[in-house]
Amino acid sequence: MQTTLQALKNQFTVQWEKQQRADLHQVGLPREQTLAALTWLKEHTPFVQLTHMSVVDWIEEDQFQITYLLMNPRSYDLLMVCTRIARSGATMESVHKLWPQAVTYEQEMNEMFGVEFPGSPRQGESFILEGWEDIPPMRRDFDTVQFVLDHIPDRPGRLSINTREFIGRKVGEKRLLHD
Amino acid sequence: MSLAIKIAWSLLNVLVAIAYGLVTYGVVRKTMARIQGRIGPPIYQPFIDLGKVIFLRTATSHGVMFFLGPIFRFVGGVGLFLVLPVIVGVPALENFSFNGDLLLAMYFMFFGSLGMALGAAEGGHPHSPIGIGRGLSQMTSFELPFGLAVVALISVGGSFSVTEIVQRQQELGGVLGWNLFQQPFAAAAAFLALLGMNMYPPFNIVGAPQEIPVGPPTEYNAVFQSLMMSGRSIFAIAKTVMFMDLFLGGATSIPEAFLKTFCIYMWTVFVGAVFPRFRTEQSIRFFLGWPTLAGVVAVLLPLF
Amino acid sequence: MSNKPDLLHGVPEIPAGSVPHANGCDQSCFLGERPDPLSYKEAIQTVKNWFRANSLWVIAYGTGCGSIELRPLGTARFDMERFGIAMRPTPRQSNVLIISGYLSIKSLKRVIRVYEQMPSPKWVVGLGSCTINGGMYWDSYATMKVLDLYLPVDVYIAGCMPRPEALIGGFKELMRMIKNGETKGYIDYIERLDWYRENQKQIIKDWDLPDYSW
Repeated sequence: MQTTLQALKNQFTVQWEKQQRADLHQVGLPREQTLAALTWLKEHTPFVQLTHMSVVDWIEEDQFQITYLLMNPRSYDLLMVCTRIARSGATMESVHKLWPQAVTYEQEMNEMFGVEFPGSPRQGESFILEGWEDIPPMRRDFDTVQFVLDHIPDRPGRLSINTREFIGRKVGEKRLLHD
Repeated sequence: MSLAIKIAWSLLNVLVAIAYGLVTYGVVRKTMARIQGRIGPPIYQPFIDLGKVIFLRTATSHGVMFFLGPIFRFVGGVGLFLVLPVIVGVPALENFSFNGDLLLAMYFMFFGSLGMALGAAEGGHPHSPIGIGRGLSQMTSFELPFGLAVVALISVGGSFSVTEIVQRQQELGGVLGWNLFQQPFAAAAAFLALLGMNMYPPFNIVGAPQEIPVGPPTEYNAVFQSLMMSGRSIFAIAKTVMFMDLFLGGATSIPEAFLKTFCIYMWTVFVGAVFPRFRTEQSIRFFLGWPTLAGVVAVLLPLF
Repeated sequence: MSNKPDLLHGVPEIPAGSVPHANGCDQSCFLGERPDPLSYKEAIQTVKNWFRANSLWVIAYGTGCGSIELRPLGTARFDMERFGIAMRPTPRQSNVLIISGYLSIKSLKRVIRVYEQMPSPKWVVGLGSCTINGGMYWDSYATMKVLDLYLPVDVYIAGCMPRPEALIGGFKELMRMIKNGETKGYIDYIERLDWYRENQKQIIKDWDLPDYSW
């Protein structure tokens, strides 16, 4: 783990680094070097397995963070490679040639966040949502409740209970004071 | 006995056999449930299922051959039952047995499954051809030991007639006169082949649950399914009657016939209750292994 | 459990008893002839309903988390087979469709197909709060919230999740309704197919099913 991290720092510009657990390290890389770093990690280090890919919407900074979770199948060490891309017109290089299973992740990320992966197969095909017409639903500027109220019929008479008040009425206010 | 009375008696026999098969199936379900620690359905549950299925409306149509499939299966079961004597010496229960009926019985055992294969393939569901492919290949492999066992019986007894084979066993007398003890190798081959014929585990690769859920009859419902249910029950009973005649010395009274057929049927059920399922190639290898060897020994042994 | 909650758009109540009563009081009533107490058609219908109620075949299709509660029904502790209830893997041979929990819009399309392929008479059981009013997924963009807008539901089983005992209770209720001839959902679906289609097309944006999936 440490040798791989040191070699990674020597070869690429690691913007930030964080140790989450003894077997889980997080590194941040600039967007231009990410594909090269992933290729290098797969070809020259034990981190050969792509376990997971995900997107986080940093709407305040107008960025998406794309995370690649790599695993060393011998020692079960995990390495998270994070990179930030611009939120408007988000595109990212596809890694499906390194790991074929990335196609499904990229298809889902394309559908749920609208991140484009040029060259990846099945981009634009529906994965879970069929016939979706609105903006991608996992973006944080998508108002889920308003969409549901507008589009999905509901049964009238549904009550919403403020859990805190309800429990407070049941068990007495004193119990809730100390939290 | 005139032909009309003979036909009437045979029809009655067929109806009794269907009812008996359904009751046997109910007992099997109850047995399986008790083995698994459950209460299980009532023994008459197959009758309720049959009645419900008859009262269903169907809107399925996949062409003429699709409709003919269950009919072939039913006819195969009834035909097999009709050429076998249930109790030799009682004309009412001898059905239409004749000299050489063993050959026709062997033919009828294939007939139903082949007809069902042709019909089910018309349904268009992908599980149907998979199940048919598995079933026919398994059938081909268990027909080999069973055929060898029958050849051994024919060569020793010198007759193609089931009636004469039964009479020969009864003349030898006692339990030891049965072919089960006179020809143990042939009996071993045939009873192992019966495991495959009745399609309980480990040989239930045709309707394999969790794999190709019900296999060939995926698209059948309503009256087609009722025909298949009754066809299956009479086919099971006809097979056990055949084994009783060939290996257990036939029967001399009706209770004896019920007891022997029930024991033969439950042999496959008890084996099935404790085994997981084979894969297709494992099943074929099994039948082409020890059962076939026992059949070959049974054929060759009288020569020395 | 048995009573269908009031619908959004209001389903007209269908009177119980499928066959119209044959011994309508005509002139013979006044001439002193005794009307037969149970007409022939009704007797046949009663027998049919008894057979149907005691042999419910459920299609093994789980849409949501409720299908976890279906599995124990087959085991030794709850054992639904003692009521004649069995799982069938194909819609052609099943009579009961259980919507087990939340139903995503993608699944709804498949469920409609499955339902239409089942032979009549057929029944729908809605399992869990999600089928009644959305439950804890009321604000999800991908699930429907009111099941009886899209399929005719005969029995609702409330709870999140209902225990297997509640499921058996629902089955017993369904059996009682079938025996009394109170379940008319499958007739309602054919009679008001346009209304159901309109609701289905409102929520399924890329509608590509045939007019009716035979």
